[in-house]
Amino acid sequence: MIQFSEEATRRFQTILSHYPEKRAALLPVLTLAQREFGWISQEVSEYLSELMGYPPSDILSVATFYTMLHKKPVGKYHMEICRNVSCWLMGTYPCVDEIKRQLKVDVGEITADGKFSWNLTECLGSCGTAPAMQVGDRYFETLTPAKIIEIIEKLANE
Amino acid sequence: MNKILLVNIEKPDQKNIAKYRERGGYTALEKALAMQPADIINEVKTSGLRGRGGAGFPTGMKWGFVPTNAGKPTYLLCNADESEPGTFKDRILMERDPHLLIEGMAIACFALNCQLSYIYLRGEYEFIAHIMQRALDEAYEAGILGPSIMGKDFALDLHLHLGQGAYICGEETSLIESLEGYRGYPRIKPPFPATHGFLASPTVVNNVETLCALPWIITNGAAAHAAIGTEKSKGTKLFSVSGHVNSPGVYEVDMGYPLLDFINNEAGGIPNGRALKAVIPGGSSVPVLTAAECDGVLLDYESLLKAGSMLGSGGMIVLDDSTKMPEVLSVIADFYAHESCGQCTPCREGTGWAAKILRNLVAGKGKRADIDLLLKIADMMEGKTICPLADADVMPIRSFVTKFRSEFEALCAS
Amino acid sequence: MPKFTLNGVELEAKEGQTIIQAAMAAGFEIPHYCYHPDLPIDGNCRMCLVEVEKMPKLPPSCTTVVTEGMVVRSNTDRVRQSVQGVLEFLLINHPVDCPVCDQAGECRLQDYYMVYGLHTSEIPLEMKVRKRKVIDLGPMVVLDQERCVLCSRCIRFFDNVTHTGEMQFFGRGDHVAIGTFEDRPLDNPYSGNVVDICPVGALTSRDFRFKCRVWFLHSTDSVCGGCSTGCNMRIDHRDGTIFRLLPRRNVEVNRSWLCDEGRLTHHEVAAGDRILRPMMRGRDGMQAPVTWKEAVASVNSRLKEIAGINGGDAIIGFASPSATNEALFLFKRYLGEQVGATQFEFRIDSEDKKVTEEEDEILRHVDKHPNSMGAINLGLMSQELGGIDRAIESARAGRIKAGVVIYYKPLVERPGDAQAEARIAELIGALEYSVVLAAHKADWQREASVLLPVTAWSEESGTYTNYQGRVQLASKAVEPGGDILALWEVFASLLYESGDGLLWLSPDDVFASLAENTPAFRGIVLEQTRLPGALPTP
Repeated sequence: MIQFSEEATRRFQTILSHYPEKRAALLPVLTLAQREFGWISQEVSEYLSELMGYPPSDILSVATFYTMLHKKPVGKYHMEICRNVSCWLMGTYPCVDEIKRQLKVDVGEITADGKFSWNLTECLGSCGTAPAMQVGDRYFETLTPAKIIEIIEKLANE
Repeated sequence: MNKILLVNIEKPDQKNIAKYRERGGYTALEKALAMQPADIINEVKTSGLRGRGGAGFPTGMKWGFVPTNAGKPTYLLCNADESEPGTFKDRILMERDPHLLIEGMAIACFALNCQLSYIYLRGEYEFIAHIMQRALDEAYEAGILGPSIMGKDFALDLHLHLGQGAYICGEETSLIESLEGYRGYPRIKPPFPATHGFLASPTVVNNVETLCALPWIITNGAAAHAAIGTEKSKGTKLFSVSGHVNSPGVYEVDMGYPLLDFINNEAGGIPNGRALKAVIPGGSSVPVLTAAECDGVLLDYESLLKAGSMLGSGGMIVLDDSTKMPEVLSVIADFYAHESCGQCTPCREGTGWAAKILRNLVAGKGKRADIDLLLKIADMMEGKTICPLADADVMPIRSFVTKFRSEFEALCAS
Repeated sequence: MPKFTLNGVELEAKEGQTIIQAAMAAGFEIPHYCYHPDLPIDGNCRMCLVEVEKMPKLPPSCTTVVTEGMVVRSNTDRVRQSVQGVLEFLLINHPVDCPVCDQAGECRLQDYYMVYGLHTSEIPLEMKVRKRKVIDLGPMVVLDQERCVLCSRCIRFFDNVTHTGEMQFFGRGDHVAIGTFEDRPLDNPYSGNVVDICPVGALTSRDFRFKCRVWFLHSTDSVCGGCSTGCNMRIDHRDGTIFRLLPRRNVEVNRSWLCDEGRLTHHEVAAGDRILRPMMRGRDGMQAPVTWKEAVASVNSRLKEIAGINGGDAIIGFASPSATNEALFLFKRYLGEQVGATQFEFRIDSEDKKVTEEEDEILRHVDKHPNSMGAINLGLMSQELGGIDRAIESARAGRIKAGVVIYYKPLVERPGDAQAEARIAELIGALEYSVVLAAHKADWQREASVLLPVTAWSEESGTYTNYQGRVQLASKAVEPGGDILALWEVFASLLYESGDGLLWLSPDDVFASLAENTPAFRGIVLEQTRLPGALPTP
């Protein structure tokens, strides 16, 4: 049975202490769980159910509402490229084509080495530096197909 | 042009609390802590400050709805869920002047007698969370936050709370619902958050930009703020401009500044010698204006409303004459379909259906009747839902289809 | 008590009532899906929007509290258009499964479409959102996600009534689907209720699946025979077969709910062989069929004979707490007044204590008999005997020589049932002369001197008294077969045979007499035993 590491448990306790009611901690705890376990699997739902005291259906129901919580495994670098207005105007889809050319996987798939997956996402708040994409806690902006190649290479060698 | 919010935005070390204070930071809070909370609320009312998230509701009035004798704690929540397409102004504020937000929030908390406050930050801004958290840590260390802020007998805890990807959580009741640990379903109003918000307690939800304006108002006084702008739209406004412009970015202008001047001066005009075709002035949820309709329009709540659009979040998207309007609308419609929470019938089904029809149209598989069907769907959704997300889909659909109908018709075979 | 008008009609609401509640209480229909009187308000379907003067938008009538002088209109063009719009939205992604969907005939999409819709669909088939169908959610429920209108009634039921939260929404936008975690089956003694409250065919009954179209069914008001709660039910039947049991809403007893066991009690009634004709032991010691005339005459004369020789103390009337009040009243009247019997009992396992003992916090009681209270109130307990054990002792010791024993097998099984039935068998074995009245066959019945076939639950009309002391009418739904008589009829016949002057033609007559003569029923008129049932006047 999976469980939080010592560090994650400490973080869990800190999160709980921020809220007057336990339930309010659920979303940050789900985020923590995703960081620990990679995605919100059914096993993770059951673990959190035990930990927080809510039915596993409830936990998973909350998780499926939020797009950043993954319900399937993703690559180590999950590239989310904005498909909204300004990015679209400034050239999202040529970059998407380049991503597909480089990674050779489609949305929902992971590269064989487990490093990359990608998806389209909504406005990232980078409209002035469009097109933009998010990879984990990093933004990559003013993208071009050439930059996409650079970024993928850089990440692959990290 | 006045600067209230972006005064120190270019200074690279502005995030550092020592530098922030050197430049006058936290003196407004000190001054506020020596005032009566009721007087602070009055100052904000007199300043004419209106909510900068998109609704434009008078901030002081919103604060005034909070009962002081509820017997329950009051919560001040900062809406940092900035997700309106075209909008990136709150990002700049938090990324480059995080202490300005903290100071603004502390002033608001003191005025509202709130001792536990949260910044609901969209999850995608995780890189900003690091910056914000460091600023919060600095503030705690310096005694700006904690058991007795700035030595005063007032405790304030301020925590960062990250969303995980849901545009709807920018709607205040959805934000509260999400903060409580549930799916971000907007709530039926009444009751209103002022009396029954977070954990059934009095709650005020304010946008980042709104809160960041408070230190200046306290320092310089309500009258000074009210002297800027127009009769009903006071102060300055941040506009994030993007699309077909030479200088996309975030700019602060006095309320009432002419729209076309903004595009040609601050935003640098339209590149590649092209002409202006259309402007979405305040984020994808507001009606689009044709180039002709922009004539004489001022950047304030009233003028934009009169022109048939809205100030909204101030997320301006400029479109030149190479733009295919049906495709832009399809991108927008996909957004609302994806972000609809699914709680109530008209939005859940209508946004999805409209998006599919538009995808068909753009792919050349649509019929003439589909265009009227889009307008019918808009009518069926409008005003019937729990929250305004459906209306936010209706505005673009109706304005794009009526103002650029010939482009839609050209896509249809028959 | 705010006064308001609805479509020009002046109405009065209770304090705090919403428009829809006040309208429905006055008999006005406002179309709705998500509102349910026994669930928290959600306001998500948007079907119940109405016009309220001074409100610019159309507010939902389920969330808007009535205020004094409110002017409400639900029949304007604006409202009609809104309702039609919501209906059209609900139907665009709805699979038109009507030909294979159990809900047909009692489906709110169908019903409202005929009144408010009648529009032509404008969405091509390929554009419809597809979801999963025929998901097995356990022994009671089948889920079809595609048919769901996302009203959240089922979610609110599991969250707020059983507090177990099995069903939730998953996903967002028009791909939201209801379901359980990992499609796990519902392991919940109240799961069947979500089938009732689902306004469409998303949640259907596995038990009833494909068995009968609802428009062929006849409905009869009844009361559950499973335990002392006395949940109000509706028996849906056709040509003598019961197809399903549904709740009737009684805010004083069961609100809108039934437990799963109670819901399936008609299967218990139908299971096993029935005793089809009166049987009497002849001189050769074997039971042989006789006519009712013969049986009644023989029983009457035999009992009076034994009473004459040994006294009334030698005869016991052992009743069943599953029999109706009417039957028990005539039973006591016959044996007590005509035969002179003095020993009456009904308790096998402390039913008088269990009758008010809760089995859970929602509906069920520990006593799995519908009428222990009635038996108590009709004076069928013996201080001396205290229950069946001493009755058996007395019989073995020869103090009690004869007995008239009513036995019904419980409709809801519990451990201990077999032992209880075994005690009855022991009692019969210990009596010199025994008259057994039962519905279902059992081996021990061969020991009886006389075996009389009587109706089971749903086959005779009568009242039951629940744990609250509430008297509730259960009406006859199906005809018994064979040569079976209603229990009350048997004693009416015996009374007639024995010369008691009165002639009872129906259980209604019996009730009137019962109410006159029994303190616990004082002041109750039969009409009052329909919803919500009658408590005696103090």
